[in-house]
Amino acid sequence: MYCIQCGVKLQEGAESCPLCGTPVVDVRAEKQPTVQSWSDLYPAQKRHGQLLVISLITTVLMAASLGCLIFCLRTARNASWSGYVMLGCALLWVCFIFPLFFRKWKPMIFLPVDFACLAGFLLYICAKTGGSWFLSFAFPVTVLVGLITIAVVALFRYLRQGRLPLLAGLLILIGLSFMLVEFFQHITFGTPMFVWSLYCVCGFCAMGAFLLVASLIPSWRNALRRIFFF
Amino acid sequence: MRKQWYRLDNAALIFPAIIRKNWNNVCRVSATLKENVDPDLLNQAIADLAPRFPTFFVRLRAGFFWYYLQRTEKPVQARPDYAYPLTHMSRKELKTCCVRILWFEKRIAVECFHSVTDGTGGMAFLQNLVARYLELKYGGEIPHEGNILDYREEPKPEEQRDCFLLCGAEGSVGRAEATAYRLEGEPEPDGFRHIITGIVPTDTLLEKAHEQKVTVTAYLAAVMGEAICARQAQQGRTGRKARPVKITIPVNLRKTFGLDTLRNFTLAVNIGYDPRLGTYTHEQVCRLMYHQLAAETIPQRMAGRVSTNVDLQRNLLLRLVPLFLKRIAMRLVYALSGERKGCLNISNMGTISLPEAMAGQVDRFDFVIGVQYSYPNNCSVASWQGKTCINMIRSIRDAELERLFFSRLVELGIPVEIESNRR
Repeated sequence: MYCIQCGVKLQEGAESCPLCGTPVVDVRAEKQPTVQSWSDLYPAQKRHGQLLVISLITTVLMAASLGCLIFCLRTARNASWSGYVMLGCALLWVCFIFPLFFRKWKPMIFLPVDFACLAGFLLYICAKTGGSWFLSFAFPVTVLVGLITIAVVALFRYLRQGRLPLLAGLLILIGLSFMLVEFFQHITFGTPMFVWSLYCVCGFCAMGAFLLVASLIPSWRNALRRIFFF
Repeated sequence: MRKQWYRLDNAALIFPAIIRKNWNNVCRVSATLKENVDPDLLNQAIADLAPRFPTFFVRLRAGFFWYYLQRTEKPVQARPDYAYPLTHMSRKELKTCCVRILWFEKRIAVECFHSVTDGTGGMAFLQNLVARYLELKYGGEIPHEGNILDYREEPKPEEQRDCFLLCGAEGSVGRAEATAYRLEGEPEPDGFRHIITGIVPTDTLLEKAHEQKVTVTAYLAAVMGEAICARQAQQGRTGRKARPVKITIPVNLRKTFGLDTLRNFTLAVNIGYDPRLGTYTHEQVCRLMYHQLAAETIPQRMAGRVSTNVDLQRNLLLRLVPLFLKRIAMRLVYALSGERKGCLNISNMGTISLPEAMAGQVDRFDFVIGVQYSYPNNCSVASWQGKTCINMIRSIRDAELERLFFSRLVELGIPVEIESNRR
């Protein structure tokens, strides 16, 4: 069989020419059975050694927490600074060990949990030191950083198209959020308004504007993708 | 016990640094036998060859200053050739083993990450694998001639050496070159690689090349150049809008310098012409390609180009830079210059030879190089028993370049039989 357009010889049973798509009618051709897919041939396997790592790190963190608690109880007769260590260990466990129980890292679940725990840790420090900075500074800044982190992760993990304009928007938002941080700093600690944050706003907005322009010009967009490997 | 490790050779240094999420540099060689492959015997053959070819059974590791290859504890197991050739080899897979051995019906294929070896090294390994498999299947012993090595011997140090370090010149040759036309198209969203194989009679191809007094590689480069020029014209890039048409030809330096190794020892040269200067006849394009290729591949010039690369590797200041910084620099250099100097690769393996005892058992050899990140098309050629397989791989949907290339060959009087892995 030959393709009437390209003049090349085709495989027996070919339905059309692979080069130009010109159809070939062959009434003798029979359908071949399809090849099995990858997942049929290689079912998901159990991960080995995961439990060992989890147990080992959990034991180390627990030992460090209990060791500090016992040391404090024996020397100062109260928990004193061991609370920081215990909560710090708990925070580490939630951030790095808890996700290992799951087959896949699910940022939309883990990141809010991580930032909630961080806020709880800061609340404990604030209460323990008798400070009044939690509600007016630590909490809103933690929420802000958490939201930005989740947005960045979601952008690079779930989006396949249109990353560049969104990244540009995100950079501008990050720049503006520095002003918000400085505002919280001002109302909590009485520092002057908008001093250092203006530099950040200018830098991030310039980067964001550049990416926004680049996203609109196809040649720039492709060049950025090639250079920055995304 | 301390695991054996190998430094990357000079050509291999760049490949781990430029891996992307959905792309890296992998090549594939395959042999189609006369009978169906027995996977158990194939695994036995792999296990027998593992001590003889230690540089193939390696994983990619990152050190503080450089990437390196670490020998795996166990040889890789053969697995079914399940999907399409050159499926993406992820970082995770490279940390397990940099080589895949696949089988499907009568075919045995080896896919390897380019840091391990080049096409010639991969083909040598495949031939030894097929030889050992045939020995296990039919008994007897295949004579150790050509690429076939005695698997019971200890590996020789010269097979594992970095030959680039042995063949430099006193001076170096600059890298500055004009930017070439870039082939483009709508990429396959799932990373599928289309392969169209054109099978042509070797003697007819040789005859046509000799009519023009050029080599087969130069002849194919000329036909490809014409196809790319036609593609440019289809896209409205004519006159001043046209860009230089350049073909990248990987040159096997083993022949040039008389050194043998199972690791990388290839250097690419770019040959081509500028359509802005006027129209060219087929004869002119053939002569242009042939003379440029001849001029670029003389040993002195190749040695100078090797020196340019090796000098960078030997620079003490650069060696002291941590890997993460080197990686950023290599990525930038590669993105800005590495893939802008050619339209596509044509890698010609030449005529493959096997000992008489096993030649009758092998029906066909194929050689496929993966696409570059920026070149959506690539072409690789291997000849065996009077047939030349021209494998054209692409990561885009449109097969227009293949159509132009193969129909031009037909126009020139070379009969082409087409196969494809179309879904």
